[in-house]
Amino acid sequence: MTGGDQDILLDCEAVSCTLATSRGPLALLKDVTFRLGRRTALGIVGESGAGKSMLIKGIMGLTPSDITVAGRIGLDGEDMVAMPEARKRALLGRKVGMVFQNPMTSLNPFVRVGRQIDEASRLHLRLGKAEARARAIALLSQVGIPDPQECYAEYPHRFSGGMKQRIMIATALACEPELLIADEATTALDVTVQKDILDLLQALQGQRRMSMILVTHNLAVVASRTDELLVLYGGRVVEYGPTERVFAAPRHRYTEALLSAVPRMDEPAHTRLRTIPGRPPDPQDRPAGCPFAARCPAAEERCRQEMPGMTLDADGRHGFACFVPVPAPGPGATAARAEATS
Amino acid sequence: MTARSQDIKAQDLEAASALPAPATARLRWPRLKGFEWFAFGFVALLIAAAVLVDVIPGLARPNFPYGDFSQPPEWSLNGLLGTDPLGRSILSRVLHGARTTLGIVAVATAIALAIGMTAGMLAGFYRGPVERAVDLYANTMASLPPILVILALIAVVGNSVLTMMLALGILDIGVYARIAKGGVIAQNDRDYVLAARAMGASDARILAREILPNLVPALTAIVPPLVAGLIITEGSLSFLGYGIPPPAPSWGGMIASSTDLLSRFPLLVVGPILAIVLTVYSLNTIGDSLARRLNDRNRNL
Repeated sequence: MTGGDQDILLDCEAVSCTLATSRGPLALLKDVTFRLGRRTALGIVGESGAGKSMLIKGIMGLTPSDITVAGRIGLDGEDMVAMPEARKRALLGRKVGMVFQNPMTSLNPFVRVGRQIDEASRLHLRLGKAEARARAIALLSQVGIPDPQECYAEYPHRFSGGMKQRIMIATALACEPELLIADEATTALDVTVQKDILDLLQALQGQRRMSMILVTHNLAVVASRTDELLVLYGGRVVEYGPTERVFAAPRHRYTEALLSAVPRMDEPAHTRLRTIPGRPPDPQDRPAGCPFAARCPAAEERCRQEMPGMTLDADGRHGFACFVPVPAPGPGATAARAEATS
Repeated sequence: MTARSQDIKAQDLEAASALPAPATARLRWPRLKGFEWFAFGFVALLIAAAVLVDVIPGLARPNFPYGDFSQPPEWSLNGLLGTDPLGRSILSRVLHGARTTLGIVAVATAIALAIGMTAGMLAGFYRGPVERAVDLYANTMASLPPILVILALIAVVGNSVLTMMLALGILDIGVYARIAKGGVIAQNDRDYVLAARAMGASDARILAREILPNLVPALTAIVPPLVAGLIITEGSLSFLGYGIPPPAPSWGGMIASSTDLLSRFPLLVVGPILAIVLTVYSLNTIGDSLARRLNDRNRNL
């Protein structure tokens, strides 16, 4: 936990985000603990308001001033929460690149595309003008811009949403970061473009041997593209583990309900979609116990009273916070279920 | 017949594809209306005259008698606007006055822009006490009659070109600060500012490289009318006798020195009044035209 582990890039420990309101502190994110290895892709899923974006903002130190971040966010052994602003600025963009949700507004409309890509490499790597330009053009062609030379000198309004998101990705990659964070990077795009962008992100992650965090509310996005999965609900981590295992054998009741709400191709047509009754808890009065208790079919009295801790699987890679977990399936059942979901 | 029209169609298509593709949405020659052409042309001409006034061939010196006093306009270069009560060429004096006025107003605007923009941007970015201080200044200046402020300043530090520049500059600082502040506040939580922060950009860098370019359109549209306002204020001061000390030519001073003879020689004031009216009209027109054009551009974004 002290950064000695060379294979861990991002190590979040008991991260909490608290909003100061006139009626006292409001916990938006509580006790989030997870580790992200080098060259691994992590998916963070959850409903709106589950705390996905808050977690990312906390990691990047982009939270508004009325939100306090507590806990430890270790990036390559350095604690991002405790470090001085200047040091953090030196790491952002250099070690961590970020792609935002809406490409239409993430590029500055009055600044040429080239300069927006150059910015980071000239700032962090102290590249000269010509060097930075060559690098930017190479990046633009890597992210699939057909005419990178021309694109370099253009203003953003000339490009479509998908193209702009490609440009944003190039911007985030300008300093060859070790971690790329995509915060709902495809939500604002057309479905067909979404697939292109996700394929591009996945390919880049492999080529550049970097880690990646895909934040999404769309399970299909993370299914085949991430190694690990983190399920957030009501500001807490409810389940964490290798993506395949979580999909094949979810242990937390919420994850199970979430997965069974995904329409499946092998069901007969007009099967009623299963939904989760109720709505996520309001952060203003979250229950004392498990945040999912009110909607959970298996909830017991204890679930409403106290927050279950993380239970770890036999090999310690799959964790879930639930008193009455879905029973672990036998080896045969796991395989069958994996087949059905893939 | 059908075959022919198809041929024509094919030809048209070919011709169309042979045309160079409209390369960029960069600066196209703007389509101006007649009066806008006049406004841009007049200001350009005035600036050119102000710069070149010393080398215009045949133009009389502004402070030396050129002909008979108080002559009506006649068809010659120096007599074009007539002569003043001392026999000096009014055209020459109007053009030299343009140099003085434009020079003073330009420096004043530069001062106001530099200080006002900086203060306004900081106020919009950091809010809190900085914002309150800037607002207080802007509100105070907006509530005081401009002439009074300048007269007070002149009373303290004396009357000179430099004083005029500073005094006029101080008048507009608050206005520019407010515009910059509003622009920054509108952008503070834009995604590209957040993206720049996520790239590790410092506050200064975000202000200068992300936010400032977005303020330029709003400012380009507001500068010409404010400059026009300063020209009127400068003219009023000269008219009251607190402007540039005579015998240096100034538009307001020329009107002032002709007023007592106005009933006998009404043509004396035509030159300077025309200069002020046309300049102010042109600057306001330019401001309107720029504002409309910049709005068009934003609509396409």
